[in-house]
Amino acid sequence: MTDFTKHLSHYVGLIGVLVVGALGIINFNYDKGLQMAIAVGVAGAYITWGIVHHHLHRDLHISVVVEYILIASLGVIVTLSILNW
Amino acid sequence: MRLLAKIAHLLIPHESNNHKAKLLHNSSLTLLIIGLLLYQGVLSFFPRFSPNILGYAANIPPDEVIRLTNEKRATVGVGPLVINATLSAAAQAKGADMLNKDYWAHVSPDGTQPWYFFTSFGYKYRYAGENLARDFSDPGSAVEAWMVSPSHKENLLSSKYKEIGMAVVEGDMAGVDTTIIVNFFGTSLVDTLPETPIAQAEAAAVPTPLPTSTALLVVTSSPTPIPTTPPTLIEAPVASQTTSSKVLISPFNTTRGISLAVIILLLSIMVIDVVVTLRRKTFRVGGRTLAHLAFLGMILVIVIIASAGEIL
Repeated sequence: MTDFTKHLSHYVGLIGVLVVGALGIINFNYDKGLQMAIAVGVAGAYITWGIVHHHLHRDLHISVVVEYILIASLGVIVTLSILNW
Repeated sequence: MRLLAKIAHLLIPHESNNHKAKLLHNSSLTLLIIGLLLYQGVLSFFPRFSPNILGYAANIPPDEVIRLTNEKRATVGVGPLVINATLSAAAQAKGADMLNKDYWAHVSPDGTQPWYFFTSFGYKYRYAGENLARDFSDPGSAVEAWMVSPSHKENLLSSKYKEIGMAVVEGDMAGVDTTIIVNFFGTSLVDTLPETPIAQAEAAAVPTPLPTSTALLVVTSSPTPIPTTPPTLIEAPVASQTTSSKVLISPFNTTRGISLAVIILLLSIMVIDVVVTLRRKTFRVGGRTLAHLAFLGMILVIVIIASAGEIL
């Protein structure tokens, strides 16, 4: 929580990206290709956010990067699976 | 007691799991991802070995689709479409063609345009358009999906169209029991010709149906090729107006169920993780749980809002 208040601007930016991504996916529900592209784009932005945030916080480690990649991959797989059917 | 300890090890930050729920460890997340991929792989290959096990339950009365379409047109002050039996037969043939050749597109793999079905059934058009939908459970959700898409909405509400042909066909597409709605819009060439005295009409050139279609993705700029072969009406099963009973598993619903379970489980563990680490003031190197919560929260919203069905 301390991290949240200390880096409020980071979290505001992240939540902004996530909200825009979610709205994009909901809004373009007639274009599955575009929805998938948005999902992958948001996941990429999420990984980038994690790397930049931890770099600025001086606690960037390979295991942290892997964690963000895994969470982002999980989100992408779930979204693409849902959109695929 | 040992079982409780094992569950706690999986779900709650503790010394035994290095102060991070075991399910949030990278190794567990990797296993979860592999599991989800395997499940999707099985779901994709399953229809090849056991067709008609997967499918979508549908209840699409064609009349209801037309009624809803005209209702939408009325809201914007456009006149209702009149059902045309020839157009409906053409739409039925298009649906059958899609199932028989196993494609989901406006143009078939062998290059057959939608307009072929119009002309081959003797419908000479001034304007023509096509909307397609599949895997919707009811007519309302299909019409609403068309209304959200600008190009489909344009077809639905265009004042250029006077007539409509509708077909709902059900069959096997890539091993999955599918219900396809084919919506043909048209304005007959005859309707748009000025009334001419017979003597003049004989002298006039025979009008060629020039497609000025506004159909999505398949706007034709060249004259429609008039088929040289007589039309063959391929029989396709017309979807029953009651819910199909042979459908056993909906791939969308099962995928959504499993996705919801995984995401809610992870979100719950992360909430526990935040609470426990805050209370214990644990310091550890790792990703930000709040960020993960936000990201997976977005995924949860998408999974909840998502619905089966696709338009083209």
